[in-house]
Amino acid sequence: MKLCVKVTVFVFSIFVLSSFTAAEQKSQKVEVKKNATGTWRVYINDVETPIRGAGGVIQPGMLEQFKKAGGNFTRTWGIETLEEKVSGGKRYIDKAHELGIHVVAGMWIAHERHGFNYSDKAQLQKQRAEVRAAVRKWKNHPGIVVWGLGNEMEDPASQAGNPLVWKELEVLAKIIKQEDPKRPVMTVIAGCSAAKIKGVMKHYPSIDILGINSYGSAGGAGEALKSVGWKKSFAITEFGVKGFWEVPATSWGAPIEPNSTKKARSYYATHKLVCEINTGKELCLGTFAFLWGWKQEKTSTWFGMYLPTMEKLPQVDAMVKAWTGKWPDQRCPTILKVTAEFNGKIVAPAKKMLAAVEAVDRNGDKMTYEWLVVAESKVLSVGGDREGKPLSYPHLTLSGNDPECVFRTPKEPGAYRLFLTVRDGRGGAATANIPFKVK
Amino acid sequence: MKKLLAMVLTTFFMSLSVNAQDFSDSKSSALTGKAWKAAAANNHKLVLAYTDKCIELYLKEAKKMQAKLTALPKGSQEEVSKLWALNDVGTCLFIKAESLLKNGDKAGAVKIFKLLVKELKFSQCWDSKGWFWSPASAAKQKIVELELDQ
Repeated sequence: MKLCVKVTVFVFSIFVLSSFTAAEQKSQKVEVKKNATGTWRVYINDVETPIRGAGGVIQPGMLEQFKKAGGNFTRTWGIETLEEKVSGGKRYIDKAHELGIHVVAGMWIAHERHGFNYSDKAQLQKQRAEVRAAVRKWKNHPGIVVWGLGNEMEDPASQAGNPLVWKELEVLAKIIKQEDPKRPVMTVIAGCSAAKIKGVMKHYPSIDILGINSYGSAGGAGEALKSVGWKKSFAITEFGVKGFWEVPATSWGAPIEPNSTKKARSYYATHKLVCEINTGKELCLGTFAFLWGWKQEKTSTWFGMYLPTMEKLPQVDAMVKAWTGKWPDQRCPTILKVTAEFNGKIVAPAKKMLAAVEAVDRNGDKMTYEWLVVAESKVLSVGGDREGKPLSYPHLTLSGNDPECVFRTPKEPGAYRLFLTVRDGRGGAATANIPFKVK
Repeated sequence: MKKLLAMVLTTFFMSLSVNAQDFSDSKSSALTGKAWKAAAANNHKLVLAYTDKCIELYLKEAKKMQAKLTALPKGSQEEVSKLWALNDVGTCLFIKAESLLKNGDKAGAVKIFKLLVKELKFSQCWDSKGWFWSPASAAKQKIVELELDQ
């Protein structure tokens, strides 16, 4: 009996040991270092891998679309995303790995603006325990190549950030490295003000990659970093179109959203500038376009690169061009011009108005046109916090599927937008909107 | 009747003056301010009038200021604004190029954007939201954006 037990324990131990070894062997080798020309790069299994990345990529079908477009890195914001079910019922992390997409596994680090106190020992201990548990749980998954420690936890509106936050990040990064010395740690901040960079350099030396979320000034991030002495690598972790806080507004304060044609140019140019042209490009590992999916933030179309119907927008085509040098075979329609007498104007209620669009489709596909009046969002969110959808008024559109629109302004006074969606019927679309106010 | 005629004539001449250039105040800041207003009103002719005047009068001084710098000047609004010629001429070049672009002259716009990047790269413009932005950086972005032929 005793011999039987001993044999069972021995066999079981061999089994456990071999499983452990197998899991270790499955993990990828990840390094961040300079290549032969002095440019910082992520190396995965000794292969130099520039980041062609995107954030989001979690809505149904987005991972497949992303792969098809030529993307290779995604980043998430919370550790729970790794287990979210995507198309086919698989976990996000498993599907990404199956498709050969490398994941920066984000761990949400609490924000002071949400009530967290970086002087409260109990809160800090709890957060440290959560980070340690997350790394222990996921460190053997080969799909994860970088740990994403926090997103804009230093306060997106602050120029300097709280030094206590940087110091705590240093503690957390050390915890990660104790648990998993094999993967680099990236922390993402909002913008790259000199004060923030200096704070990181002074208090958070364990950081491996600095992630920068930047919109209007993303192209200049490398130069800004170099000017304050940053010597490690960085990535642009959110970029694309100018933020609604960076653009001109109407007389009633509604930010004027660029149409999808202009947005596409912005995505393309920013990636090219920060990675290939501007000062500091040798520090740049690559970029993560925002947002590879759809989101209500100020409007339903401001940051999304897709419609909820899964149709891609020209921003996607622009990133394909930026990554590969070529347009995709099937391109989105291009909006050339939108004309509207009421653009940015105050108008009477229940009045008939006209708008018109000039658009082309490079594939020669027949285009359809959807016009829709939507109330201006009244939400004043900060840092990308979740927003509800404003009301829409389909009954106010009087004309049909037409490049010329006749609609009636709402009876209720207030701010509105006339949204336009042009579709090619083959998975591509283009968007614009025209702000007006009823008084 | 005389009063009515006077009113009509006054209104007529006032309407003319809206579209007429006004160089009575030829300080670079004044010309730049007028150029912005003309741009907001989509008055391309006036934009060119004011920006060209500013460039004609102050480009030489702007280049002198640029030559003394090795990096983008930092500091308060007051301190950075001491480089008045550099900032205003740089801004006027940007406004001019944008207006050319809006009016269909892509090649002309790119030429001006490139001039701005080459000659006045440390010019800055104050945004009423509370920060400086770089016309040359914005011009660089525009040049690359315009490469993307959609």
